Amino acid sequence: MSHVAVAAIGVSKSYSRREALCNVDLIAHRGEVHGLLGPNGAGKTTLLRVLLGLVRRDAGSVQLLGRDLDSAAGALPDGISGLIDVPAFYPYMSARENLGVLARLDGIKRAAQRAAVDASLERAGLVAHADTKVAGFSAGMRQRLGLASALLRSPQLLLLDEPTGSLDPAGARDVRTLARQLAREGAAVVLSSHDMAEVEELCSTLTIVDQGRVIFCGTVDELRKRAPPAPHSLRTSDDRTARAMALHSPGIRVMPSANGGLEVSADVAALDAFVIALGRAGIAIRRLERPPRSLESLFFDLTTPRDLDATNLAEMAS
Amino acid sequence: MNLQRAVAVASVECSKLSAQVKTRVALVAGAAGPFVFALAMRVQSSVPEDTLFGRSVKESGLALSLVVLGFSALWVLPVLASIVGGDVFAAEDRYGTWKTILTRSCRRSEVFAGKIATAFGFALLATAVLAVSSVAAGLLVIGSGPLVGLSGTLIPSSHALSRVALAWISVLPPVFGMTAVAVLLSVATRSSAAGIGLPVVMALTMQLYALVDGPEVVRRLLITSGFNAWHGLLAEPSYHGPLTHSAVVASVYVLSSLAIAYWLLRRRDVAA
Repeated sequence: MSHVAVAAIGVSKSYSRREALCNVDLIAHRGEVHGLLGPNGAGKTTLLRVLLGLVRRDAGSVQLLGRDLDSAAGALPDGISGLIDVPAFYPYMSARENLGVLARLDGIKRAAQRAAVDASLERAGLVAHADTKVAGFSAGMRQRLGLASALLRSPQLLLLDEPTGSLDPAGARDVRTLARQLAREGAAVVLSSHDMAEVEELCSTLTIVDQGRVIFCGTVDELRKRAPPAPHSLRTSDDRTARAMALHSPGIRVMPSANGGLEVSADVAALDAFVIALGRAGIAIRRLERPPRSLESLFFDLTTPRDLDATNLAEMAS
Repeated sequence: MNLQRAVAVASVECSKLSAQVKTRVALVAGAAGPFVFALAMRVQSSVPEDTLFGRSVKESGLALSLVVLGFSALWVLPVLASIVGGDVFAAEDRYGTWKTILTRSCRRSEVFAGKIATAFGFALLATAVLAVSSVAAGLLVIGSGPLVGLSGTLIPSSHALSRVALAWISVLPPVFGMTAVAVLLSVATRSSAAGIGLPVVMALTMQLYALVDGPEVVRRLLITSGFNAWHGLLAEPSYHGPLTHSAVVASVYVLSSLAIAYWLLRRRDVAA
């Protein structure tokens, strides 16, 4: 059994004249949660739709769990499920009836349908609302029902498009727990999200897309290594004088920090010289540290146009 | 295409239909309408003289069934033909559920076949309900008197019943043709209103065209002509040419509409 769960190579898709995806690769492995990141309109949802066979690709190949996804008209292979946007169901039917309908479409034998539906409802935390008509469901409950419908297929590959967007904190926690649990059980989970903390917490590997192109693919650690080092955070007994001294210190760039104190960008030698100079001037160093860069700042580094990034905006403002 | 999966789709569609009010209302109206009409005919003194078999409506229950058939051909049968066919695909757009059903274990061809079977099945059921109800209403409320045929000859009840049954069966080809058109509109426009409404408008327009002095070739291609093909069954001697013509025209409508609808569905991107 191949370790690769998703192998999408060179996928392209255009709508009229707009290029939604251009030569996109996505590789995700069993036993991991793979993050799919990108700003709005980057092509994340289109890519997931291509993987689920909802949208025809113009070029490229897609293998899911080792099987070719030939065309959008084919059935989704067993063991693969996904949620796109807010899941949709028949409002005039109850949650249980909706899942019963989907179980029949999945070819689950009649005798096993009831048990499969009940197990999915239980795992998605919807047992109490199983016989309520979906018309009365909140967005969060629909999301849970979407998860239940995905679990009905005993997924070895689960594709989730911003699954926690409409959930309350407890619901979002449950989804994260479920994703982790599925990955532990050997399934692959591909998760598109805007929540960087969520991605950082869940995902071991990432693909970042922007304007329909992959701009990063690898592990979170690789992304950190690739990014420029974060500035040091410096707190002194006299930040104003320290900042004035920095203007005359070669290789030192100092900016006031949003959290108070100073942000210092420098190489090790220049920083050492600056710290010694501060000490000689009678300015005490109260804290000097280099915080790890958040995934969010790395994401902005990769996806924000240079002429619009936060540093430039701050410089323009000052 | 896996037949078992297509059957599963059809059974799912039947479950969905049974959970919807509109289909139940349509069937109940189809079953109750002829009885209401029969009771009204029995109570009132006048008869619908300007309608085919209208003069005999108080004398033969089977004539009442044929009056119902003639009236239904105007717009009731187009409505019954399209009420499911025009909605069966567009409803998935309305509820946003294409992404839900197309990410299961069924191919689009199987989904298409299952939905088509349901739409045609409902059209058949609704027509059958109307037919059985109109015959039952006629026989129970008016009575089983002999029927005066279109040539003026008296047709005994035993013979007349089979001819009336054949007359109802003869409208099935145009009914299926209308269903196929409704399916095509449902897929192409993704709108239930268009899928259900436009076939009815189309049927009324065609029937109006039949009244004007237009080219004969166009008239022969109108699917609604088939709704009158049963007239030959009630003449002496009976003639069947219009029935054959109706079946051929309806087949063309069915095959071409379904082929285009399937092509559209297969090529469709299920985007936002």
